[in-house]
Amino acid sequence: MTLDLPADEMDRLYGPDFPALRGEKQMKRGSMVAFTVLALVLAACGGNETDSGAAFDTVAAGTLTICTDAPYPPFEFQADNGTWTGFDLDLMSKIADDLGLKMAVTVQPFDGIWLAPAAGTCDLVASAMTITPERSANALFSDGYFDADQSLMVRDADIAKYPDLPSLAGATIGVQTGTTGEAYAEENAPADSTLKSFDEPAAMFLALESGDIDAILQDFPVNAERATAEPGKFELSQSFPTGEQYGFATSPSNTALMDAINAALAKFRSDGTYKQVFDSYFGG
Amino acid sequence: MALTRRQRIRATRWTVYGLSFALVIGAAVTVDWPALAGALFKVDLIPEMFPAVLTQAAKNTLIFTSLGFSIGLVLGLVLALMRLSKVRAYRWFAATFIDIFRGLPALLTILLLGLALPIALGGWRIPGVYGPGSLAVGIVASAYMAETIRAGIQAVPRGQMEAARSVGMTYTQAMVFIVIPQAFRIVIPPMTNEFILLLKDTSLISVLGVTAQTKELTRFGRDFVISSANATPIVIVGLIYLAMTIPLTRLVGQLEKRAARAR
Repeated sequence: MTLDLPADEMDRLYGPDFPALRGEKQMKRGSMVAFTVLALVLAACGGNETDSGAAFDTVAAGTLTICTDAPYPPFEFQADNGTWTGFDLDLMSKIADDLGLKMAVTVQPFDGIWLAPAAGTCDLVASAMTITPERSANALFSDGYFDADQSLMVRDADIAKYPDLPSLAGATIGVQTGTTGEAYAEENAPADSTLKSFDEPAAMFLALESGDIDAILQDFPVNAERATAEPGKFELSQSFPTGEQYGFATSPSNTALMDAINAALAKFRSDGTYKQVFDSYFGG
Repeated sequence: MALTRRQRIRATRWTVYGLSFALVIGAAVTVDWPALAGALFKVDLIPEMFPAVLTQAAKNTLIFTSLGFSIGLVLGLVLALMRLSKVRAYRWFAATFIDIFRGLPALLTILLLGLALPIALGGWRIPGVYGPGSLAVGIVASAYMAETIRAGIQAVPRGQMEAARSVGMTYTQAMVFIVIPQAFRIVIPPMTNEFILLLKDTSLISVLGVTAQTKELTRFGRDFVISSANATPIVIVGLIYLAMTIPLTRLVGQLEKRAARAR
């Protein structure tokens, strides 16, 4: 499940200053300081919510219920034995352990998933979801935990024809409804290209294979995973650093849970747990 | 119990009335009406949806429905006649076709025709932006309609066919001019059902991906829910679906009454 694109391929796609997916960049120094301060503040407040789980409410007692749009490898999918795994869910199950809770997974379509905690469907969204101002209006986001970069994937045979986004003039670009990829395409795709939006990546991959669309614009790791899994079928043609990050989201009122999540994230960043999970998907 | 039969019936009825009344009062008291109205009927969102919800979304729903219904009707009639044919191969083909497309979920049929078929056929696809979706819902509808039309044809008294043949019509002429017109009058009510089911099935077509040109009502409503973080758009598109289906059922009811008088 790791992304083992050769280093020069990574540089071509991503530029040499974007090493996050090689596992080199773990976090920015500024956020490290912020995490530490936050952790100290939380410790000073003296709440032991991380052990008892009593300081915040969950929709099911003793359980951290996660909303996610799966399968979305390598972030959320079911292993052959049926357990939920992927970068988000591995990280989340460790966080749940840390909070003394069991993790339960509820699968939801991505579009509007950030509204689910406020609706009482689950406690938290962990779904490779980019933090955006629009979504923040109706959900409370954690600190960023992953660089949310976008990329363009085309059929292998078309790589010379469509080397980048501007070359897709007059073509059809597939995007997933409600994603930042869709928003990026709406802003940056050539004016005479057609955007076709899909509920889920599975239909989008079929549509690309069938020739119904000419390219897919979506999160880099998801495209990269697919291009690596099926060599000779799809190829990444361009990627777009956005400067945005994925975050977990709760209901806007559930600050107690979010404080605990952020504290656990900060702890995992500093004790190497985060790096271990990261490397198991994107390392090497 | 010393109650008479009539007293028992009356007691039951009053209990039902009493319970229903208690439920209504209970709901009226417990529900936070302003919050409910804010969540499901936020008035200032409604103007934002118009006119696109009608000129774009409802229009696309109607295009998918009318194309799908036309395909379903023609295909359904052909399948019904094949089911009634003397040729065994025709009967066998129609029965298999109906079994498959009546047994598959509409969503799967849409995915198969829209995405899997072009891959299997090396890139050839059903032409037109409305083509794959309309054909898929049309095929699903045809499987149901075929059985309805067959029942309708069989419900036309045998004497009609015999009389037509005895005045010198061929089998085909008798079918086309005598039996099928009468069969259609019989199947109008169940066909209205098929039409409404098909209208609602068009909400599944968005699984094939939607462009600005092909967005139908349900997708339009869902997208609007996301951008507004409010469920009002779902209520509005729901009302538009009802505005299409309820007048239709009433109209067909009128037609039926007239047909009954004419008979």
